[in-house]
Amino acid sequence: MMRFLKMLFTWWHHQTLSTLLHTRRRGKLMGVDGQGNCYYEDKHGASINGKTRRWVLYNGDIETTRISPEWHGWMHYTVDETPDQAAYVKRDWMKPGQINMTGTKDAHKPAGMADTTGYADGYDAWTPK
Amino acid sequence: MSETENNLVKVTVDGQAVEVAPGTTIMQACEEAGAEIPRFCYHERLSVAGNCRMCLVEVENAPKPVASCAMPVAPDMVVSTTSETVKTAREGVMEFLLINHPLDCPICDQGGECDLQDQALGFGGDASRFDDNKRAVENKNMGPLVKTIMTRCIHCTRCVRFAQEVAGVPEIGAIGRGEDTEITTYLEASLDSEMSGNVIDLCPVGALTSRPYAFTARPWELRKTETIDVMDALGSNIRVDMRGREAMRIMPRNHDDVNEEWLSDKSRFVWDGLNTQRLDRPFIRQNGKLTPASWDAAFDLVESKLKGKGAATAAIAGDLVCAEGQFALKGLMDALASPHVDCRQDGAKISGPRGNYIFNASIAGIEEADALLLIGSNPRLEAPVLNARIRKRYLMGDFPIVAIGEAVDLTYKAEFIGAGADTLADLLAGKQSFADTLKNAKNPMIIVGQGALTREDGAAVLAAAIELAAKTGASFNMLHTAAARVAGLDLGLVPGEGGHDVAGIQDAAQSGTIENVIFYGADEIAGASLGDAFVVYIGSHGDRGAHRADVILPAAAYTEKQATYVNTEGRAQMTEQAATPPGEAREDWKIFRALSARLDVTLPYDNLAALRAAMYEAVPHLAQLDDVIAADAPVAPPHDGLGAEAFTYAVNDFYFTNPIARASAIMADCAKAKNEPKNRGDSSEGTGTDG
Amino acid sequence: MLRDEDRIFKNIYGFEGADIASAKARGDWDGTAELIKKGRDWVIDEVKASGLRGRGGAGFPTGLKWSFMPKENDGRPHYLVVNADESEPGTCKDRDIMRHEPHKLLEGCVLAGFAMGAHACYVYVRGEFIREREALQRAVDEAYEAGLLGKNAAGSGWDYDIYVHHGAGAYICGEETALIESLEGKKGQPRLKPPFPANMGLYGCPTTVNNVESIAVAPTICRRGGSWFAGLGREGNTGTKLFCISGHVNNPCNVEEEMGIPLKELLEKHAGGVRGGWDNLLAVIPGGSSVPLLPKDICDTVLMDFDSLKEVQSGLGTAAVIVMDKSTDIIKAIARISHFYKHESCGQCTPCREGTGWMWRVLERMAAGRAQPKEIDMLLQVTKQIEGHTICALGDAAAWPVQGLIRHFRPVIEERLANGPLQEAAE
Repeated sequence: MMRFLKMLFTWWHHQTLSTLLHTRRRGKLMGVDGQGNCYYEDKHGASINGKTRRWVLYNGDIETTRISPEWHGWMHYTVDETPDQAAYVKRDWMKPGQINMTGTKDAHKPAGMADTTGYADGYDAWTPK
Repeated sequence: MSETENNLVKVTVDGQAVEVAPGTTIMQACEEAGAEIPRFCYHERLSVAGNCRMCLVEVENAPKPVASCAMPVAPDMVVSTTSETVKTAREGVMEFLLINHPLDCPICDQGGECDLQDQALGFGGDASRFDDNKRAVENKNMGPLVKTIMTRCIHCTRCVRFAQEVAGVPEIGAIGRGEDTEITTYLEASLDSEMSGNVIDLCPVGALTSRPYAFTARPWELRKTETIDVMDALGSNIRVDMRGREAMRIMPRNHDDVNEEWLSDKSRFVWDGLNTQRLDRPFIRQNGKLTPASWDAAFDLVESKLKGKGAATAAIAGDLVCAEGQFALKGLMDALASPHVDCRQDGAKISGPRGNYIFNASIAGIEEADALLLIGSNPRLEAPVLNARIRKRYLMGDFPIVAIGEAVDLTYKAEFIGAGADTLADLLAGKQSFADTLKNAKNPMIIVGQGALTREDGAAVLAAAIELAAKTGASFNMLHTAAARVAGLDLGLVPGEGGHDVAGIQDAAQSGTIENVIFYGADEIAGASLGDAFVVYIGSHGDRGAHRADVILPAAAYTEKQATYVNTEGRAQMTEQAATPPGEAREDWKIFRALSARLDVTLPYDNLAALRAAMYEAVPHLAQLDDVIAADAPVAPPHDGLGAEAFTYAVNDFYFTNPIARASAIMADCAKAKNEPKNRGDSSEGTGTDG
Repeated sequence: MLRDEDRIFKNIYGFEGADIASAKARGDWDGTAELIKKGRDWVIDEVKASGLRGRGGAGFPTGLKWSFMPKENDGRPHYLVVNADESEPGTCKDRDIMRHEPHKLLEGCVLAGFAMGAHACYVYVRGEFIREREALQRAVDEAYEAGLLGKNAAGSGWDYDIYVHHGAGAYICGEETALIESLEGKKGQPRLKPPFPANMGLYGCPTTVNNVESIAVAPTICRRGGSWFAGLGREGNTGTKLFCISGHVNNPCNVEEEMGIPLKELLEKHAGGVRGGWDNLLAVIPGGSSVPLLPKDICDTVLMDFDSLKEVQSGLGTAAVIVMDKSTDIIKAIARISHFYKHESCGQCTPCREGTGWMWRVLERMAAGRAQPKEIDMLLQVTKQIEGHTICALGDAAAWPVQGLIRHFRPVIEERLANGPLQEAAE
């Protein structure tokens, strides 16, 4: 029941009810990636900005960086081939995907960034000769 | 009522009437009325250039907008700072400033504290209409401190005016004309000034930025602590910007009576010294080698040496130490019943009442003086900001300056009438015409430098100067070089009954009568001069003192404690803690307190407040922060007669006067730049600070 | 038309000698001492009565300017500075005065200097004027030899020295405060006013800066009376004036004429008319490069004096008439003038430093047709952003020609842009 209420009133835990209904009605499943995210295209060819509408149902938290790199190009209309199609080219410079770490302890820290943890030394100690 | 009130001029600014003194500029009147006027070239402490045209306002009945920074008010003037004319004028000027400005804010160190950024947001237009190529200007070499990106320059000429007027080194100028105007230094060399860093603050854009600070931090990441500088005895007000516990830069704060808003290069750029060569743990000497130890082990060793040997223990306080620490040291030595205490590690023969060792006329008082005698003092190196104040007075005119000592360039015209004490004797005997000048002046000043006092006949020089001051009615002023000194003298860190002074301690240590010496931040004494004495070094940096030490007790630097310093004019000021002392280092007074407990002479205070209460009871005027307490008239001390030798100056290596400066790589770069030939090609990428 | 006996500069073409004997034969240095003995106020009053307006471009009443000098000497010396830094494109009157009538200038210096209580006069000669400086120096030497300068100048009891100073060749040094800076040995950049030179000028002393022509006509005015001078020309625009006619006329020349002469008459009588006839006229710049140009229909009727030209939104300036016939590429011509101002801007204050270069670049593109039509309005706005926002008048001088161009020849620009490469590429 809680899950159903969440589906009604929040969008960040899971797809909303209307998205699910819309997907059932008009979605054509194009593929599923390694994390279980399902990618859809409008089965009637309804378009947005002249392109057939595409969307994703996440398997879990709604977090755009969870779209896998293989599907990223397709989702953003960079390519029209889904990864499972023969025409899809896997480039050697493509790296495995990683979700956004901002706000976690693994967040990116450029060299020289202020250390807020307070453990850095920030000085060179003297050593006797 | 009073006459001045009747003379006030009534001006209307944006419908609001204000009364200002005649001669004020429209800009000042507008500020009085609370109207904000944008400006770039105008700076309160520099002459008016009126060339940026950003401060245009509309004056009723004037045919065109007027530059408010330069135009004096006239009676019943009606000024508008918000009219459409003013708005378009500002937008126009802003657009002109921006067409040839690179707009490289994301990679500009001025970003976030840039006048151009701020004012473009507040007073500029919303879009760019300039389609042609922007101007590019080659960067100029301004030495190791000032990084130049001259394409960003908006030609406000603040730096030019600063160099000419305040620093007294007319080495920055504008060459070329029209669009091709470029600001450059003479022969592309670094400014031959001890205050060159101020052009960084003055530059309203990112054309002149701090080279050592380049690309290291953004202003909004920094924690700003307002504190006091200790690089010279001036007590300049500063702000230390920290990231984590690392000092990133030091900026001046405004204090009209001390440093105005200037800062010497040493005070400004010494920050990297705060991050290096730090003593962060106790050391003890084992088998001739200093090895890290715990506080307990260090105290054990000190206890074993000092216990019961109080009278054979001496203490010397250094140049950068605080009043609290010196008070605790004095308390410890008193408790140990040792009279061998001295805070004058340079050996200056200073004695007598307070009037004998402070700058009685006060720093701001220089501006009221009308004749000046410098005795063995080179203020340009000993206190550059004070020197700028003398120059300021000099530029007002009618200010004869005479100096005794080796002829040096002081940035103003001073007549060097002799090099040694014999000239002083002549002056005293009235054989020099300047004696009459002093006598006839209304507010004459005599400034005595430390170089004249550290000699054999130092006491005689002091006596002669005081007598001359009394004879001519001049104020007697001593210019110290050490931030710790006046507090030390106030607290009585001088040899007690039968005590040795610094030279005496060294002799006694060699002869063995003194067995233990406590160096409290004292780093200017040759280690070998102490014979086989057991040396305890308490300080923040590994320098000469630490190398000689048998036990090192790590203490806090001036940015790491809340402490009192008394400047050369006797003004007590309090530093604020910008960071915690590194590693196991502790605040100075805590070390003495802990040591006293080990030696069974526990000092009667457990916290800083209690210590201060005791200190204020002993020396009440230390409690009056930021006040200059007038001292009693100086009294000539007894002496053995004047010698004839030439005076030497206290500061020769400006960039290396104390352990923090010696630890600083930036100071080393400055010294290198200074000693190398002027046109030494391009060093811009040679400093290794470009990230 | 000016009668020959009313001509002040009788030797402007150098047909006679410029030496002191020839000059005296023409009436120079005649009774100078008597004029001086009539007193300071008399001289100033005569010049005021003559209605003489400064000949350097701004047209400020000369007598009034002299009267601004402090009457009482406060210990500081007074100075007269003569502005012979004639650099306005199209203007070439002062150089002929220095070459052929130097003694008129020197006598004027003595009278003017006396009128303002100055004992010293500096003549600041433009850097490029080598021969002119030599001629002037020769005349000064002659005058010293004849006792007309130095102690008890011309027997008047007034000590007077004249120094010829050679500039380094910068247009901006024709601006009075920049000239003073340059004379002091500094970089020639205009000063902020106030304080005005009459109060704080050369070396901080009261100073008056006058154009060569203004000073050179003073002796004749004093000799023949202010009312004679005032009788020529129109009310408020009196006297005679040297006109420098250049460009597309058959006989480019310098000519002294009565103020207020119709432009058409001036060109036809003295310059042999416009090349290819009056109908071939495109535009005239009536007062040196810094004033807005006038199209032919205005030129048909306009009178050449300060107020008439102001009425048609131009100015008399230095009365350097630059004539352009229909063969002229008017956009290119103004672009060239713009380049001149960009090159001569001192770089001190922002609008002029940055704006002159911007205007020039846009105009160059417009001349080549490489601009958007909307840039015409933008350019006009830029000129307005410069005008009146600078320390000295160079900003105005740079803005006005461009404003004149857009005011009168906008269709020409629009047509050029419509046929330009940008528009063609867009089609």
